[in-house]
Amino acid sequence: MRRFDYHRAETLEQASRLLTELGDDTFVFNGGTDLLVEIRERLRRVRNVVDIKQIPGLSDITYDETRGLTFGALVTVGRLENLSLVRQRYPNLRSALASLGSIQVRNRATVVGNICRASPSADTIPPLVADGAFVHIYSRTDMRVVPIAEFFTGAGKTVLAKGEIVTGITVPPAADNIGKAYLKHGRRKAMELSTVGVAVSLAMEEGVCSDIRIALGAVGATVLRAPQAEAMLRGTRLDAAAVRNAADKAMEECTPISNVRASADYRRDMVGVLTGRAIKQALETFA
Amino acid sequence: MKRMVDFTVNGEAREMAVDGCRSLLDALRDDVGLTGTKKGCDVGDCGACTVLVDGEPVNACLMLAVEAEGRAVETIEGLQPDVDRLHPLQDAFMRHGASQCGFCTPGILMMAKKLLDDNPRPTDEEIRFGLSGNICRCTGYTKIFDAIKSAAREMEAARP
Amino acid sequence: MNMTTPIEQREFRIVGKSVKRDDVLEKVTGEAQYTGDIKRPGMLYGKIKRASIAHARIKAIDVSKALAYPGVKAVLTHQNVPRVLHYGSPHPRSASCTKDQYILDDKVRFWGEGVAAVAAISEEIADEALDLIEVEYEALPAVFEPEDAVQPGAPLIHDVGPGGNLVLDPVRVNRGDIDKGFSEADFILEGTFAGGRPHPAYMEPNVCIADWDGSNKLTFWTSTQTSFMVRGILAEVLGLPLTKVRVLVDHMGGGFGAKQDVFQHEFLCALLAKETRRPVKMEFTRHETFVAGRSRHPCRIWLKQGFKNDGTLIARDMKLVYDSGAYGSHGPGVTIVGTTAATSLYRCENVRLEGRCVYTNTPVNGAFRGYGVVQSYYALDIQMDEAAERLGMDPAELKLKNVVRAGDIAPSGHPIIGHGLEICLKHGIDVLNWKRLRSRDRTPDPKRPQIRKGWGIGCEMHGSSAYPGIKEQGNATVKINEDGTVTLLTGAAGLGTGAHTALAQIVAEELGVRFEDVGVIHGDTDVVPWDIGAFASHTTYLVGTAAKMAAGKVRAAVLERAAMKLQVSSDEIDLCDGKVFVAAEPDRAMTVSEAMGPSRGIPAANIVANGTYEPTKSYSFAAHFTEVEVDTETGIVEVKRVVPVHDVGRVIHPIAAQGQIEGGIQQGIGHTLTEDYLIDKKTGRSLNAGLVDYKMPLSMDMPDIETIILEAAPDPGGPWGAKGVGEDPIIAIGPSIANAIYDAIGIRFHHYPIIPEDVLKALREKGA
Repeated sequence: MRRFDYHRAETLEQASRLLTELGDDTFVFNGGTDLLVEIRERLRRVRNVVDIKQIPGLSDITYDETRGLTFGALVTVGRLENLSLVRQRYPNLRSALASLGSIQVRNRATVVGNICRASPSADTIPPLVADGAFVHIYSRTDMRVVPIAEFFTGAGKTVLAKGEIVTGITVPPAADNIGKAYLKHGRRKAMELSTVGVAVSLAMEEGVCSDIRIALGAVGATVLRAPQAEAMLRGTRLDAAAVRNAADKAMEECTPISNVRASADYRRDMVGVLTGRAIKQALETFA
Repeated sequence: MKRMVDFTVNGEAREMAVDGCRSLLDALRDDVGLTGTKKGCDVGDCGACTVLVDGEPVNACLMLAVEAEGRAVETIEGLQPDVDRLHPLQDAFMRHGASQCGFCTPGILMMAKKLLDDNPRPTDEEIRFGLSGNICRCTGYTKIFDAIKSAAREMEAARP
Repeated sequence: MNMTTPIEQREFRIVGKSVKRDDVLEKVTGEAQYTGDIKRPGMLYGKIKRASIAHARIKAIDVSKALAYPGVKAVLTHQNVPRVLHYGSPHPRSASCTKDQYILDDKVRFWGEGVAAVAAISEEIADEALDLIEVEYEALPAVFEPEDAVQPGAPLIHDVGPGGNLVLDPVRVNRGDIDKGFSEADFILEGTFAGGRPHPAYMEPNVCIADWDGSNKLTFWTSTQTSFMVRGILAEVLGLPLTKVRVLVDHMGGGFGAKQDVFQHEFLCALLAKETRRPVKMEFTRHETFVAGRSRHPCRIWLKQGFKNDGTLIARDMKLVYDSGAYGSHGPGVTIVGTTAATSLYRCENVRLEGRCVYTNTPVNGAFRGYGVVQSYYALDIQMDEAAERLGMDPAELKLKNVVRAGDIAPSGHPIIGHGLEICLKHGIDVLNWKRLRSRDRTPDPKRPQIRKGWGIGCEMHGSSAYPGIKEQGNATVKINEDGTVTLLTGAAGLGTGAHTALAQIVAEELGVRFEDVGVIHGDTDVVPWDIGAFASHTTYLVGTAAKMAAGKVRAAVLERAAMKLQVSSDEIDLCDGKVFVAAEPDRAMTVSEAMGPSRGIPAANIVANGTYEPTKSYSFAAHFTEVEVDTETGIVEVKRVVPVHDVGRVIHPIAAQGQIEGGIQQGIGHTLTEDYLIDKKTGRSLNAGLVDYKMPLSMDMPDIETIILEAAPDPGGPWGAKGVGEDPIIAIGPSIANAIYDAIGIRFHHYPIIPEDVLKALREKGA
C-alpha cells in the first residue's frame, strides 16, 4: 500500500478548507471502503485523506410525510438497511442497500460515499434516481441542493467542486400509491458488483400508472433514466404487453459497454428482463 | 506522522502510536501482536479479517487504526469465554469439521458470533446471508452451516 | 506392495471415527501460526517489480532511484542474481519436468512476471520503491493462444525444450486398433471441448520468510505443499548443501495443488535476505496470487468416439492441447496425467490419444486439484451423455454399461481393483430413484415459468499417488516415549485436509495406543523424514501406509519389551488402548507406560522406527448426481442439489473425507459456471485478478450437498484399504452440471465456465 497523510476534520468548514488547501491528491475519507481499495490497488493516487466522521450533525436520519427521508453523510449502508421505515417505504433502496458488498462492508460504507464515488454500477444510485432524491452540498460560501439525476457528470465524476462536501441526501416521501423495486444482476447472490441494476418507482391511480421512473445502472457512464419507456407506460394499466414494449424500449435507451463482467449485448438484454421484472415486483407491493 | 490511539482489544485497554494510513488489520497483527485475524485480500473482498468494532462486524483491512480511537475491538483471540473453555461455536467448528485450512475460520467465527448474538435461532437462509461476505474455499460451507446450527442449539439449551 | 495381498479385516477402535482434529483447536482460537504470522527481529519486507508487457527483452533497468529511496536496503535485477536454469516444479523423481526458468532473466515472458525485487524497512516503502525502478523494454511479438503459439513462425517463448513452443514432446498413447474400432462402429460422435482458466484462490496468499544465520545457513519459512522440494531446489540454485537449508511450514491456508511449485519470489526472498544480512518477508497481494501464482491449464480437446448400437464404446480418438502459460511448471505432468487418464473411465479397447502442452505469453499454469483430468473427463463424460441421447438410452444406463470394472487396465497400467465406479453409480441411481427422476413431470412451475430444471450425472476416477509419472516414496518415523505416548514425525504438509489427524489415527490404531496419545511433528525439513510433498491425493494412502509400517515396528518392539517384563513370550501378549496383556490371562497386564519406563535396573526404552513405502497407485471413484435450475430469460444456472457418491476405500476420518468432497464440489461448481481467470488476448494483461471479478461460489450460492461415502473397493496399497479423496470431487461435478443443463434446456455445452451469456445466446439460437 502507498502511504498517505490522515487529517481529521472537526467541522465542515475545516474539512472544506483542508480539501482545498492540501492539493489535488486530497480526498474525503468517510466509510473508506472504496477509497482504501483504490489506494491499495493503485487506482487512485492519494496523498491526503480528510476524515469527516467526527463532524457533528452528519449522522442523523429523519423522516416526515412532507419532506421524506433525509440522512446524513455518515449514515452507513447497514444502518439504513436495517431501518424498518426503509424496508416498508423504500423497498427499492432497501434492496440495493442489502446487495451492496458484504455485511462487513455495509457497516462501514455510506450511501453518500457510494454516490460520490459515482461508479456506473453503484447499487444505491438507481433507486435514488428512480425516487427523485436530492443531494445536499456544503461549500464554505453556501449550501446547495442538487437533484440526484444532475449530480453525476460521468463515470466517477460529479458536479462537486473543490472543497464541496455532500452532507446528506433527501428522498421524497413514499405515498401509499407508490410501488418500488430494485433488481440487480450478477453471477453470484452476494458480494457482487452489479452487471445491470434496474430500479423502478411507480405511482398507480385507480389501476392506471400515473407516473413511473425507471433508472438503469451499469449500462452507461452514469445511471440512466429510460424516459421513452417511462412515457410509454404512463397512463397504461401496466399490462404485460405494455410492460414488454417498454422494457424493449429501455433496452434501446441504455448505452452499455462490454467488459470483464458482461458484454454490451448481454447487458442490454438484461435491461429488458430486469425492467419487466422490476415493474412486476413494484406492482406486487400493492397486492 | 504518528498518532496515539486509545482503544480496547478484547476488553483490554491499549495505547499505541500508529501512522494515519495504517489499517486496523496491520495494527492488530503487527503492533498489537494478535495474528489470529487474517489478511486474505486486504481489500474487503474475503472477510478473513472480520473483527467486531463496538459489536459490529467490519473488515479490519478497510478501517484505519486511528479510527479505532475510543472503540472496543473484539478479535478471535477474545472469543473464548475463559482460558480453558471454548465458545460453543469454536467447539462446534471442531466437531463438525467446519475448519479445514483454517485461514477463513477466525473471520467466520466472529461473523457467526455476531449472527447468533443478534439472532439465536437463525434459519438456514439467515446463516447463508450472514456469511455472504466471508469466503471459505475449503469446505463448501456445508460443515460451517452444520456447526453454526449445532452451536445455536447448544447455546439455546444452555440459556436459563 | 503385492496388489493381491488381502486387506486385513478387523474391528477398528479409531480408524473410521471422526476424532477431534488436533490442528483445529489452534485454528478456532486464532493461535495457529501461519507463515505470514511470523515476525523476525530486524525483518525487512520484500516486493517484486512486475512487468507491464507480455513478451519483451529488457534493454535497460535502472534501479538507482529505488536504491536511493529512504528505507530501501537492496534491489535485485537479472544483473545481480545467480543465473541458474532450473525447474519450476522440481519433482525430484519425475521424468517429466522442464528446466526453463531463471530467478530473473533479461527476458519477460508474461505480463506480471517479476523483473526486479526490493527489500525495505516497511512493506509500503518497498512498494513505493517499485515505481522508481525504470525498465526499458524491447517489445517482442507475443502469443496468447496455443493455436497461435504452434503456428510456424510464431515467436518462440523459450529456447529450451523441443521447440515450436512445445513444453514437451507430444504424449501419445495407443491401445488396440483405432481404425478397426471405428470401422466396426455403428455410429461416431465427434466434438470439440474447451476448458477455461480456473484459479485455486486458496485463502492464504503465498508468503515466505528467509533468514540466514552466521554459519551461512538459510532458514526458510514458506507456505508450501512440498517443503523438501523447496529445500532441494533452493540448495541447488543457491549452491548450498542440504544441511545449509532448513525449510519450515506449520499451518498453511490451503494450496489445492498450486503451492507445489518453487516460485520466483522464494528465490528472491532468500537472495534479498542474503544481500541485506537481515530476515526478509515476502507476501503476495491477492492480485499477485493470480498473476504470479498458478492456475489450471486451459485446454482444447477434440474427441471422436465410435459406438455400437448396443451402447458398447469401441473406439476413442482424442487430442488435447494444454496451455502451459509462460513456463513449464507442471505442464508435462498435467499433460501426461490428463491424457493417459482418457484411456480409462469408460472402457474402450481401441484408443488413440495425443496430448500437447504449449507455451503462451500468459501467467503460468500449474498443478491444481484434478491435475489435467478435470479437462479430459469433462469431455469424456459429456460425450457419453450425448451417446446415450443418440441411442435413446438413459445416460445412467449407458454409463453403467461402460464404466471401468475390476481387472480393466487403469491409466497407470495396473488392473483396476474392485467395482468402485459401478457401485457408486448404482447406489446413486437407487438412492435418488433415478428412473422416476428421468420420467418426472417437466411442466414448468406457473409461478416461475422461465425456470427449467434438470438432472445430470458425472463420473470420474482418480489415482492416489502420482505413479507412474513419479516414483513415489512415503516416509514416517514413529517414536514411543517412556510414558507410553507416541510421536509421529512426518514431512507431509498440513494443507487443512486433516491429513495429520488421519496419520495419527493410523498410528494409534496400528500401535495399540489411544488416539489422544499420539502427537504429530511436521513441517521442519531438519527434523522430519524426507517427504515428497502433499499432492496427488496421496497423503493418507502413501504416508499413511508408511506410518502404519513404522507403528507396526514400534508395536512389535513394545510387545517384546513388555513380554520380557511380564516374563512371557511376545507372541502370547497383545496390546490395545495403551495396555499390554497376556492374551490368555487378560489380568496379567501392564500399561505401555510401565512397559516403556525404567524399572528394576532396566533403563527406559528408546524405540524409534521408520516406515518407507514405495507404492504404485490406487484409484478412487465417484458419481455425482446434480440438479440445476436454468433461468431461460437471464441464462443464469443455479445448482440446487448435489448427491455425490464416492468410493474412497477404507474411510479413516469420515467428516474430513466429507469435507474434502464438499469443498471440491464448491470449487467445481465455480469452475463450471462462474470462475475464469481472464487474460486480455491483445496485451496479455490480467482482467480479473481479484476476488470481486474472479467469482467463486459463496455461502449463498452453495446447493444442498448430500454426501455419500462408500467403502466399495478398498485397495490393498493403502492402510486397511484406504484411498485418496482430495481431487475426485472436483472432476465429477463439472460434467454432472453440464449434463444437467442439457436435461433442463436441451442444449449441450462443451466448455466451461458456462456463463449466463452463453446460455442465453444458445437458447436464442435454439429458438430461432
